[in-house]
Amino acid sequence: MTSLLWKIALVFAPLSLLSFGGGQAIIADIRLQTVVLNGWFTNQQFADLFAISRATPGPNTLIASLIGWQLAGPAGMLVATLAMFIPSSLVFVAVTSVWHRHSGSPWRKAVEQGLAPVAVGLIFAGALTILQALHLSLLGWTTTLVAAGVLYYTRTNPYLMIFLVAATYLAVFFMF
Amino acid sequence: MDSSVDTERVAAAQESTQKLPQVSLKALFFCFIQVGLTSFGGGTQAWVYRAVVEERQWLDEKAFLAGLTVSQILPGANPVNLALYVGQRLRGGIGALVATLGMVVPAICVVLAVAAIYSHISAYPLTQFMLLGIATVGIGATFAAGTKAALRIERKPVAIAIGIATFVAVGVFHWSMIPVVGVLAPLSIVLALRRPHD
Repeated sequence: MTSLLWKIALVFAPLSLLSFGGGQAIIADIRLQTVVLNGWFTNQQFADLFAISRATPGPNTLIASLIGWQLAGPAGMLVATLAMFIPSSLVFVAVTSVWHRHSGSPWRKAVEQGLAPVAVGLIFAGALTILQALHLSLLGWTTTLVAAGVLYYTRTNPYLMIFLVAATYLAVFFMF
Repeated sequence: MDSSVDTERVAAAQESTQKLPQVSLKALFFCFIQVGLTSFGGGTQAWVYRAVVEERQWLDEKAFLAGLTVSQILPGANPVNLALYVGQRLRGGIGALVATLGMVVPAICVVLAVAAIYSHISAYPLTQFMLLGIATVGIGATFAAGTKAALRIERKPVAIAIGIATFVAVGVFHWSMIPVVGVLAPLSIVLALRRPHD
């Protein structure tokens, strides 16, 4: 059991530090480690775990928590989660601490001013990439545009918005 | 070390002159539980933007967007890094921890619950269909947040050009984000340094 927990930690901790750009960067490596090298899952099992982590809220690196749970229950989940999140978080906090300390300096103002347009470009790029992957139907385009419009112009509660769209899809599913 | 304490104090004094709002750890925690549980199928950054910048006005546009960019390029899941950034900015190290726990812990519970019933529901086409519907709300939220952010940051030709270049390189050409940001971000920062400030 202990050796399994060590193995789990040793799979995720290095990948945590390599997850530049977010979780999608290391999914292929997680599959390699857990399916091919350690033989913990079949391809289909891994595909299911990946689908669950995509379909549920929260960061997609929660696939690590799920893998840990499947392998070793609560202890496995805890070890995998901590191994996945702590190394990258320490790096992030160390880097941004320097920045938080220099509030009010012209450098930080320039950094914030300079990074803002890059962030906006990335926001739209991310939305476009997801759109291309989803191959939306007319209904999909409609709810995307309606949601964008409602969330842009009103202060509608996100849960209400999600609930209404889910209800619409449920109705459409059973009517057609 | 005394010097580190002094640095902290100076930093705290500077922060307070910037009129950062007083945010309780509890409020921070519940804010991130809310966004953590809303962010199905992407769109997390849009929900954090909505919750932190628009609804609560804890951070202004520029501070948020700078954190968003750094969150995306450093190692770590983007939503977690964003929680660390907002939490640390508002309440220091403990704030970073609390915001991240809010983002991650309830989400883990949902993931495990769904995993437990997944084999029973994955076979139904309805499941995929509903998830697709929920994903479109995430995309809609992303467009809404992106548009608001784009309209609120400074409208200088240089900034607009950098934004469009980033979008085209990553979104249209699908170039890897790290080198694109690695080139455009320093360029954009240097250009901002050379501009006169208000």
